Amino acid sequence: MDATTAMYVAQGIHGLAYGMVLFLVASGLTLIFGMMGILNIAHTAFFMLSAYFCYQVVVWTGSFWLGLLIAPVATALVGVLVERFLLRRIHALGLLFELTLTIGVMFVIMEGVKVFWGTENLPLAVPPLLEGLVNIGGMEYPIYRLFIIGLSAVILGFLAFILYKTRLGMVVRAAVADADMVNALGINVPLLFMFVFGVGTWLAGLAGVAIAPILTVFPGLADQMGMDAFIVVIVGGFGSLGGALMVAIIAGFLSSYGVQFVSQLAPVLMFLFMAVVLAIKPTGFFGERE
Amino acid sequence: MMNRTVKRIIWWGVMLLALILYPWLFGIYYTNVFVTFAIFALYAVSYNLLLGFTGLFSFGHAMFFGAGAYATALALAHIEGCPLLVALLFGFLGAAVLALLLTPIVARLAHSAFAMLHLAFSMLMYTLALKLRGITGGEDGIGGFPIPPFHIPGVVSVDMTDPLNFYYFAIAVLGGSLWIAWFLTKTPFGQIIVSVRDNDKRVDYLGFRVPQTKAVIYVLACGFAGIAGSVYAMFQNLISAAALSIAHSFSPIVMTMVGGVASFFGPIWGAAIFAVIEELTTRYTERVQLVEGLILIIVVLFFPGGFMHMFWLVKAKWLGFTKGKGFGVIKEKLFAKRSEKKATEDDS
Repeated sequence: MDATTAMYVAQGIHGLAYGMVLFLVASGLTLIFGMMGILNIAHTAFFMLSAYFCYQVVVWTGSFWLGLLIAPVATALVGVLVERFLLRRIHALGLLFELTLTIGVMFVIMEGVKVFWGTENLPLAVPPLLEGLVNIGGMEYPIYRLFIIGLSAVILGFLAFILYKTRLGMVVRAAVADADMVNALGINVPLLFMFVFGVGTWLAGLAGVAIAPILTVFPGLADQMGMDAFIVVIVGGFGSLGGALMVAIIAGFLSSYGVQFVSQLAPVLMFLFMAVVLAIKPTGFFGERE
Repeated sequence: MMNRTVKRIIWWGVMLLALILYPWLFGIYYTNVFVTFAIFALYAVSYNLLLGFTGLFSFGHAMFFGAGAYATALALAHIEGCPLLVALLFGFLGAAVLALLLTPIVARLAHSAFAMLHLAFSMLMYTLALKLRGITGGEDGIGGFPIPPFHIPGVVSVDMTDPLNFYYFAIAVLGGSLWIAWFLTKTPFGQIIVSVRDNDKRVDYLGFRVPQTKAVIYVLACGFAGIAGSVYAMFQNLISAAALSIAHSFSPIVMTMVGGVASFFGPIWGAAIFAVIEELTTRYTERVQLVEGLILIIVVLFFPGGFMHMFWLVKAKWLGFTKGKGFGVIKEKLFAKRSEKKATEDDS
């Protein structure tokens, strides 16, 4: 295989890995919006918080795997507490107030992190098992990125299975369509909301841990990924998992190939893409509700 | 009737006197704090013209603030001997023209599509400001441009680099803009935008043009944000891409919510509250946003109507007044349960 093809494939892998992490963040966001109608501005703050949790676990125990297991769960716990004690109380007031509340939560998490861990970049080592490159068909791939792609694919399959093949998924989909009616049928919708919010933040947390060894852990982590994740959800259509997956992968490729060909314009490409799509179809690719 | 007019004149006189005497009473440091507060008050009020009055929820108001600021900074930096008021006009026009360019797309939208498209455009502006170093100076921004004197040929020429003179200029401009905005809400047009918020289909049936109405108030509100940005650029003598960032788009939302979304004066109170908080907390901690976030959460949880709501409640309780028009508006329009809201939308 010649050098040019190798370069294309390598950039493709980078783009795919980034796109899959984006999908992990975006899927949580879109799940929460589709189900509860909450535009969770604090979502990326949870994403960052999880990276810090993972760093702390690694400092205490020295095991990245334990961090991968514990940090997202701890983040989900924080998310559940936020839902139970803050968001639920003002759910009746509507979108604007919930959104403002999540802005407040975002401020608190982003600043609270600085209080506990400071503002400098904290390095997080890739576990020894996933270090280095692997040789497949005469090409060298970084193992960690392949691991991220694999992990995200597994999560995607798991989510799809839960949503479309189990009773729980059926209830969740029904509640997306009409929460009041599901509540009237005797299903505990507030509990379901809490569960979905927890799963959403767990997904964000998982993405945070996955990306931490690549980007290191720092307070700006949320801004860097956060905007892209929002764009993915918006362009894909709020509440649509398939749309989020499609746009996340497009976004990954746009960023990796964009840097290569039009490096000056690369950051603008994504926003331009979003502006064009929304100007034509304001609800995004697969969005139904406004 | 006479009594009320006299009362109002006295009230305005006292306000004016307080504003004139303020720099002598509190010194130059607090004068500058006050100018910053006044800039953000106008910025938040211009935002609330969209959110509270027209029901348009935007995530990218910073882009108009930034457009005004950059237009003024560029005019002052590149046009030799550009007069002060012309620079201000450039600020207003910069934002208004940008808004005008966007109206064909945004005036047809509402709700989250409107909010999201603004997020996209403002992020586009932010990245452009960072990348087009030749024009905007990238992260460093444009700074050190000359601030011309306030000059009317043959009458007066006042040096604007003196903070005291600049205070009077800024207060006159910002106060004037606030008064125009307030007056706007009292005109028949101001009533129409409120009815567009409440029920745009009925307004359409009555023969008013809804998208055009939205477009007019949109351009005006963005123009006011441009004026705020213009004064900000002159006040700081520096404008950088941070003025276009998403955090800067959040600040009027936060101020409006804390001050009171259903009232014209709510955002001004919100700006004042945040100015005081910033002033007090920076003495003890660097984490100002932590305190602001906590206050925002508490306000949304316990006083969803913001400061004005609290003010009305206290007034009603202690002075026996009625709760006021604004309270009813909040309660009906913003506190309505989702299902009820959905039902009314289906009806119309």
